[in-house]
Amino acid sequence: MNRERFIRQRRSDWQQFETLVSRLRATRQRAWASRDVSDLSRLYRSICYDLSLVQSREWGSRLEQYLNDLVAQGHNALYRSAPRSLSVIWDFFAYDFPRTFRRRIGAFSLALALFLIPFLVSTLVGWQRPDVAEMIAGKESLEAASQNFGEDLYTDMDAKYAGQRSAMAGFYVKNNTGIAFQAYALGAFIGLGTCFILLSNGISIGMVTGYILAAGPPTTENFFSFVISHGSFELTAIVISGGGGFVLAHGILFPGQRTRMDSLRHHGLESLKLALGAGAMLAIAAMLEGYFSPLPIPASIKYVVGSCLWLLVISYLSFAGRGGSANEG
Amino acid sequence: MTPLIKQKVDTRVVVETPEGADFQFVIAGAGTRAAAWLIDRLIQAGILALVSILALFLLPFGEAGAGLGFGGILIISFVLDWFYFSLFEAYWNGQTPGKRSQGLRVVRTNGTPIDPASAIGRNFLRAADMLPFFYTVGMISMLMTRRLQRLGDLVFDTMVIDERRERISRAGGLTANIEAFLRSECPRRFSVPERTLAVIERLFETDRIISEARREEIARPLSEALRKRLGYVDPQPDPRNPHTFFRTQGVRQTLFLLRVLKTFAENPEGTKSTAKTSSEERPIAVTAYQSKRLTAGSDEFVTSELANSAVSDAADKGRVHREP
Repeated sequence: MNRERFIRQRRSDWQQFETLVSRLRATRQRAWASRDVSDLSRLYRSICYDLSLVQSREWGSRLEQYLNDLVAQGHNALYRSAPRSLSVIWDFFAYDFPRTFRRRIGAFSLALALFLIPFLVSTLVGWQRPDVAEMIAGKESLEAASQNFGEDLYTDMDAKYAGQRSAMAGFYVKNNTGIAFQAYALGAFIGLGTCFILLSNGISIGMVTGYILAAGPPTTENFFSFVISHGSFELTAIVISGGGGFVLAHGILFPGQRTRMDSLRHHGLESLKLALGAGAMLAIAAMLEGYFSPLPIPASIKYVVGSCLWLLVISYLSFAGRGGSANEG
Repeated sequence: MTPLIKQKVDTRVVVETPEGADFQFVIAGAGTRAAAWLIDRLIQAGILALVSILALFLLPFGEAGAGLGFGGILIISFVLDWFYFSLFEAYWNGQTPGKRSQGLRVVRTNGTPIDPASAIGRNFLRAADMLPFFYTVGMISMLMTRRLQRLGDLVFDTMVIDERRERISRAGGLTANIEAFLRSECPRRFSVPERTLAVIERLFETDRIISEARREEIARPLSEALRKRLGYVDPQPDPRNPHTFFRTQGVRQTLFLLRVLKTFAENPEGTKSTAKTSSEERPIAVTAYQSKRLTAGSDEFVTSELANSAVSDAADKGRVHREP
């Protein structure tokens, strides 16, 4: 077969393919007629063959480019990621996320240590030596925090700030989830960014806690009853997301038997699951912190609810998704 | 995959389809990506402004309304920060409004469309890529990778392709406005083989950075051999229009090869019969050849090829039978 004959024979297919692809592009995938789909795949395969033929016989780069373009168009039309349904979201939270968490418990433990140790140390510092804490974290901000949780918090403040709850919830979503995602993303710098964010947050939260401990009973009780409920989701999620950052760093630093690229891809997906799960937990935390935690109800109720929430989070992460199904993880 | 493509120092990558065919993508450069990013940022700012204006309508409902409005703004801004790019890329098959305007698309490195997880992941890692300012980290990463990938692309196995540049580089119509040989110009009967034509096409590939003079130099040996075979002799300057002659002197050989291409690629029989073109003395359109290389569109190739095969179809009908 010579080049001209080839072009003459095949051109009707090419034209048909071109019009078909441009037509299908304009319509939604669900509306594609079955006949069109089978035409598309048949024509696409034959054009792939044409392209290989032209390439191997070196029938000119223009012809090759033209066919190349056709193949590229067909490739884009045919190969898409599988359509997802909402059940993916359920599967993710019921199976995938907790399973990934348990698989990556090492990274989580590292993140926990990097958060908890500076937290405990700075709590101790803030409690025993408030003057040192004031020097490190700034006097004004610590005093403001302490005053916020002063005696009148729930009689005074709640009436005053009732309208602010939604605004605060929005703020918590933006700020806390932003920090968590950042802790995750900065894992790309071989984990150093994640370390930094965990350490600095551990220290600053610890300082405030210690300072308030030093302030004495009414403030202390207001503070702890405030943070216990949403703390379950919030603190856990920030550490999980930091763990995600370390999974990412692990993929970069220790590829093991894989090539480094392969390892990155594998760990990238795993780490992303952790970050996304943490994001969802933080959204819950923000709602709790905005609407439940500041409610003017007795502290004991909050302690009970808060403890239950901690139990819920821990048992969710430890037990959800054990046993079979959902693609076996 | 031809070795020629492999060695190319440009931003193309070859992707093999499951059907076993190789095809090429043009990788987007940092400039176009920055432009797309800027447009997206402007759109984000616009959305936020719009939401803020809408939130103003909540003000009359007292403090709770104002709080709700403010919280809403914060949540929208959070979603825009972390999910604007990924949601668009996931649902618009790898494009955001900015990318669409610049003709860019995110695909996986094997050429398949991006999946939602990768879309989210690659955009989460913007937080790392944008450090310390203006995507410095991302830029460094792009300089160090063949597919110009920033960290997010590397981890989630994606690349940004430039569909528009692909179209421009596909410029067909090399021989548009070039005249085929007239039978009287080439007294010897010789059919130039496909392979030779392919070589000529390679010489004129638009993405090859060769100066006119160098191309002329490269063209000379082939051109001279073909002249001998075809018995072609350059015409003397036309006394009525001597400029054409002198203008074409500098690109004599390349022009000759283009005419060979025009004549034989489109009609294996070779030279045209004089009957078809009446004005034998029409000057050769040099300027057209020079301007063509940037303007020709992708369709031109097909139409010209098809038009020609249509012509030979018509010619076939008149003939009884032709050797393959």
